[in-house]
Amino acid sequence: MNGTIQAPTIEYALLAPMLVVFGAAIVGVLVEAFAPRYLRSAIHVPLTLLSLAGAFALTIWQAAAKGIPTKAAAMGAVAVDGPALFIWGTILVLAFVSVLLIKGEDHFVAAASAVPGSAEEEQALHEGAAHSEIYPLVLFAVGGMLLFPAANDLLVAFVALEVMSLPLYLLCGLARRRRLLSQEAAVKYFLLGAFSSAFFLYGTALLYGYAGSIDLAKISTAVGSVGGQDTLLYIGAAMLGVGLLFKIGAAPFQAWKPDVYQGAPTPITALMASGTLVAAFGALVRVFWVGLGGLDWDWRPVLYGVAILTMVVGAVLAITQTDIKRMLAYSSIAHGGFLLVGVIATGKAAAQNASALSGILFYLVAYGFTTVGAFAVVTMVRDAGGEAWHLSRWAGLGKRSPLLAGIFAFFLLAFAGIPLTSGFFGKYAVFQAAVSGGALPLVIVGVVASAVAAFFYVRVIVLMFFSDPAADGPSIVLPSRGTAAVVGLAVLATVVLGVYPQPVLDLAHSAAQSLFVR
Amino acid sequence: MTLQAPGFWPPTGPEIVFLLLGVVALGSALLVVTTRQLVHAALWLVVCFGALAGGYLVLTAEFVAWVQVLIYVGAVVVLLLFGIMLTRAPIGRSADLDSGNRWAAALVALATAAVLVTVVVSGFRTAYAPLDPGQGAAKPLGSSIFRTWVLPFEALSVLLLAALVGAIVLSRTDIQGRK
Amino acid sequence: MTTHYLVLSALLFAIGGVGVLVRRNAIVVFMCVELMLNACNLAFVTFARQNGNLDGQVIAFFVMIVAAAEVVIGLAIIVTIFRTRRSASVDDASLLKY
Repeated sequence: MNGTIQAPTIEYALLAPMLVVFGAAIVGVLVEAFAPRYLRSAIHVPLTLLSLAGAFALTIWQAAAKGIPTKAAAMGAVAVDGPALFIWGTILVLAFVSVLLIKGEDHFVAAASAVPGSAEEEQALHEGAAHSEIYPLVLFAVGGMLLFPAANDLLVAFVALEVMSLPLYLLCGLARRRRLLSQEAAVKYFLLGAFSSAFFLYGTALLYGYAGSIDLAKISTAVGSVGGQDTLLYIGAAMLGVGLLFKIGAAPFQAWKPDVYQGAPTPITALMASGTLVAAFGALVRVFWVGLGGLDWDWRPVLYGVAILTMVVGAVLAITQTDIKRMLAYSSIAHGGFLLVGVIATGKAAAQNASALSGILFYLVAYGFTTVGAFAVVTMVRDAGGEAWHLSRWAGLGKRSPLLAGIFAFFLLAFAGIPLTSGFFGKYAVFQAAVSGGALPLVIVGVVASAVAAFFYVRVIVLMFFSDPAADGPSIVLPSRGTAAVVGLAVLATVVLGVYPQPVLDLAHSAAQSLFVR
Repeated sequence: MTLQAPGFWPPTGPEIVFLLLGVVALGSALLVVTTRQLVHAALWLVVCFGALAGGYLVLTAEFVAWVQVLIYVGAVVVLLLFGIMLTRAPIGRSADLDSGNRWAAALVALATAAVLVTVVVSGFRTAYAPLDPGQGAAKPLGSSIFRTWVLPFEALSVLLLAALVGAIVLSRTDIQGRK
Repeated sequence: MTTHYLVLSALLFAIGGVGVLVRRNAIVVFMCVELMLNACNLAFVTFARQNGNLDGQVIAFFVMIVAAAEVVIGLAIIVTIFRTRRSASVDDASLLKY
């Protein structure tokens, strides 16, 4: 200790995608501060889209030209390995699509501080006020999503979790219509999110006490070598698991998901249902496989139960829903359960792990695109008071607007996992890995749950096509170019991944081949 | 754990200090959860945080102790009091502070406490760490933060910026329309 | 010695947890979450002592900063919804049905 600090080594090139996103967010804040009001939106949209596209290009460049690194970067804080790069690419594309949706229509509140129904709100609406700060906040959240699945120690994971969540808590409360519902969703999401991150943190503390480090690799080493403190390890891992399972909305901790998905502005719901789920799954798999990999005989039965419960709860409760956004939320819960099946499908052989991981990665891509597309369709079916959420309002939509109803029906079939859609190959890849990993009963439950869910999806399709439209039914707004592009892209991805999935499967496989760096 | 743990009796000076601080922290935490007056809850929180800061000092984590005083006692609780003030919560007793499921919750808490206490006691029954001063000073912590932990530290600055922007979004009233 | 600290931390965590479940006022719920975070910090600092490295203290420092940012966002959200509802009670969040 001689007064000078040894400079840390930071691999800037490796972290470039993340740095670009955070940098653009900070530039966005500066734009808020200095650009005149009428210019802000015109600057924010290209800035946000370009930065996401640039970060995506950098990710591809890293993977293609420079090869996949075999060592953790930034003093061991971030592991930019094959799965991380694949997940980064997925999140960036999904975020790009969600931003197109955000810019599409006026989904956001005119003035968040104005009390709903007050004169100030009237005035703000009349003047066409808008919060352009939404774009930097989305970029902050996306930056957190990038950091979370790549976190190589639990402190980075915690900080990334908060960077991802805090902007989302806020964005949830900014819906333009049904503002009370939106604000309640924000409060609920915030309080439960803070509660769950306390669990994550206490789990981290116990593991730190057990292993003497919060580095995932060192925890993994300690699992094999430290004796006599097993209860500490088990309880620590369990509490860590509670925090992570909350974020993906697995079964005992799913209560927030329908409420938040319903209340949040629909583009933000799309971002959460795709990006947050991908990021949280990336982190979950990394923590359980890398950090607690030596403990898999102990956590596998627990996750086994959680996966079954999640699939059943998601599929069964979806049937009872009458609100389209809540239904999609329960469908997202069920899909979380299907993905958990992949997490359990580990084995002693590296090839088994790689096939399970590539199944998860492919599933995330397939589901992410489909769900963004489904929420984009939800934004286009409008009543006088905003989006028409109640399912009865969707009756006869197929006669009113065959194209839109057809697209939505296609997305629902993809959720159900019908062949020739991306959902089929996603489920197939995950279930196949689970079968070869010896989890056949789980797969049977998964197939049954898919069938139950399919029943409901088909019911919605029947409702749309074979019942008479209400006289005062919702109108279909002409989509803006952004929204139309989102729907088109989602349809394209769902079709291509369903008909010709091989390139993406290969990509996922080669990303998973090297597994996680340690 | 190579050191021989001394017996629990007689307690040493730091142990006595810590036991007193621990009793204060526990008591005030219980009051935070049970008091019927909102403002009192915030004030008991100050006592609890202060006692914990004292505990950190006994653990020779000086820097963390002072940051605890500055951030928690100085900033967080003040913000919470502002929050209570802005939401015009009743200053006196309010009857409906608790929800109906208090016994179920108490049971859950007892179970949690029992499990956690068993875990730490079974794990660390004989653990003993000597308390030599100077370990947790600002200097070693600083060089550790700016070397090993530099990336989460930078992420933290992003987090603070995001929180700042977010709070402004929710509270500013001078939003004008596009001209 | 270490055990005492850990027991205190575990008890504080449980007290905070029961507070979150029992209390109805959003601000008090939030205070209880802060209590839980403090329990985590105490565990971290104690383990840092026990393990003989500084990591735990650094983490405690980080957690405090994160908690400060959380308070900012949380209170902003709670105050906003209060202005809408004139009440900060959690159970009144009634529009969201199960």
